[in-house]
Amino acid sequence: MSRYQIDKLLRDLRRDPELATRFRTNVETVLDSYKLDAAESALLKGWEVRALYDRGVNPLLLLLAHGPAAGKSMQEYAAAMNPKHRPGD
Amino acid sequence: MAEIVAGIACSHVPFMASPKQWERLPEAVRTNLRSGFERARKILEGSHPDVLITFADDHFDRCFYDNLPAFLVGVGEEASGPAVPGFDLPDVCVPIASNLARFIVREGLEGGVDFAFSEELALDHAEMAPMIHLTPRWDIPIIPIVVNAFAPPMPTPKRCFDVGAFVGSCIERWPEKTRVVFLGTGGLSHWVGPPQTGKINEEFDRWFLDCLARGDSEEATSRYARYEDLEAVAGNGGHEIRDWLAVAGAMPAHLKPAVLAYEPVKQWSTGTGIMAWSA
Repeated sequence: MSRYQIDKLLRDLRRDPELATRFRTNVETVLDSYKLDAAESALLKGWEVRALYDRGVNPLLLLLAHGPAAGKSMQEYAAAMNPKHRPGD
Repeated sequence: MAEIVAGIACSHVPFMASPKQWERLPEAVRTNLRSGFERARKILEGSHPDVLITFADDHFDRCFYDNLPAFLVGVGEEASGPAVPGFDLPDVCVPIASNLARFIVREGLEGGVDFAFSEELALDHAEMAPMIHLTPRWDIPIIPIVVNAFAPPMPTPKRCFDVGAFVGSCIERWPEKTRVVFLGTGGLSHWVGPPQTGKINEEFDRWFLDCLARGDSEEATSRYARYEDLEAVAGNGGHEIRDWLAVAGAMPAHLKPAVLAYEPVKQWSTGTGIMAWSA
């Protein structure tokens, strides 16, 4: 797994609003710019944050990129990462 | 001769930069933390510092896996921030005490600490969120030192304490009359992004604060010396205690430590602490 390439994409999504928008509207053009295999691309397209974390992707980068690139809330991130966990508990 | 006149260590939750986020806190929690920051600000201002040396880490906004130093010193003429906008952080530009910063880097390279350095180092919420409360006029020249407490592998807690001690010794060798305050930011326990996100380990936080308040650096640096052990007990954000340990290492014996405030802040998902070393 290209953990570095995924971490790099997540860093870029966090820093570049245009890239984050394009990830939501034309994801293939974004993924094509990184050295990812089909399985990695599928996990990213589906924002399978728990599966990515379990494969060693940095959780801070996952959290930081998730909002701008997935367009989802912190609560949705937490639920996807750990369905049993409620933030603040 | 330069001298170290105070030290402060505190959490750097980005939410603390936002008035709206303070309103989310229960009144007793808000009052305690505001009081702690106020006391820390008075200690800082009462020390009349010429230079503020910060030990803070990053959040992949200044350093990344393509080039990741263990200790990075900003040596340019000024530091602007925030590196990435957000969290209600203001746009600021703070002068860097460049000559002293370059002296520290050279002393390190000749004396056993291989500092990286940057002519263009931005500020992160790691410095800015606490500085909003501690140096609200942004007028004290700074030396920002970024500690890798966020991207494993990291320097050990003991190494961070020792590098802090080395920087402290540099101040003692700096020939110009300069009053220096140290500020370390980060922690305490928090999990940012993993399945435990939102968890706080108050027992760990109070143990760590007690170690520093007692001056027991051996205990503070050795009990969770291994990366995995610290991660398990304090979270991926708990590694930021390295920034506190660097300040502790820099402190001369006549400056006495005291915990100013601690709250396990559920709304901020962070064990939030403030302490100071003062005469």
